[in-house]
Amino acid sequence: MSESKFAEFRPRWKEYEWRVIRGEKVAPPVNHALDEVFAKRAGSGESPPSLRVWDRYEPEVPFGRFQSPGNEVDAENAEKYGVALVRRMTGGGAMFVEPENIITYSITAPINFVSGMGAVESYEFLDEWVVGALRSIGVEAYYEPINDISSSGGKIGGSAQARSFGAVLHHTTMSYEMDARKMLEVLRIGKEKVSDKAVESAEKRVGPIKRQTRMPKEEVISALLATFAEYAGGNVRTDIVSEEEMDEAEKLVESRYGTREWNEMIP
Amino acid sequence: MHGEYKVPGGKLVIADFEVENGKLARVSINGDFFLEPPEALGKISASLEGADIGEDEGELARRVRDSLGENVEMVGFDAESVAAAVGRGLS
Repeated sequence: MSESKFAEFRPRWKEYEWRVIRGEKVAPPVNHALDEVFAKRAGSGESPPSLRVWDRYEPEVPFGRFQSPGNEVDAENAEKYGVALVRRMTGGGAMFVEPENIITYSITAPINFVSGMGAVESYEFLDEWVVGALRSIGVEAYYEPINDISSSGGKIGGSAQARSFGAVLHHTTMSYEMDARKMLEVLRIGKEKVSDKAVESAEKRVGPIKRQTRMPKEEVISALLATFAEYAGGNVRTDIVSEEEMDEAEKLVESRYGTREWNEMIP
Repeated sequence: MHGEYKVPGGKLVIADFEVENGKLARVSINGDFFLEPPEALGKISASLEGADIGEDEGELARRVRDSLGENVEMVGFDAESVAAAVGRGLS
């Protein structure tokens, strides 16, 4: 492993036994609700900290807690393509997600895990292992503060964090592949009609993982998890979302992440 | 009115509002920034409610700063960038 910018904090990864979950496919709001469930349980000590990789049934635009959906999404095109709009509990920006094109993971840990770190520093700390993992499979990745993972081939992904319920929740979404035209039709990056030039420029700006390694997505995820296990000093336990956690998440979908009040509110 | 300000090295701040009798009304500050606790955003927007459109950005920023409690952490933006987004919307 390469030397760490976070020599002082790096041993913290080894202080816990981590649950590592490769999540089943769920409806888009359920993943967001699971983040809250896992944050609460990690914060209270009811559950150990976790790394959870998401999977989804449908495309979605997860957008930041402080964003106004009308400014970020073309609602008509989102509907046309069957894209769910879900507000996250974290800040940050909107992303266009087609399940097969994206890798998303969440880390939840007690707040002490990031004590002594400022917000900007903790973003990079929590994604350092991912940058390392991407390099191990030949992607020239690097961190671009505040919250982006970039590479010699373009931007790969972004992270968002919340410090709530006595926990830190950190989730990251990375492009494995992308359909730039569809993304530009769904996200309101420019207001004019999507031009070939805009598509070309988006394709240059973003550097999906598949353009930089030939590895299939599932193998990329396995490589990420292998590096994570190294960071954790082998203190990882492969696990699943429990029935109880899923029930709690379903309730949160009904009361929050699946409601218009939450998703359509103007901050 | 709609104004956007991209903080250099930071995030995008958007101000959506109306002007009534020369004063800001129905102010929404939104964007891809980070803020803890999240409830602080309501206070930021409310602090600009009723501001005179003649106020300069320094005065608008002071309103925002005064609305923030001690433990509020703004990441990727600050009171000045909120004022700048409002300023863009007015110009």
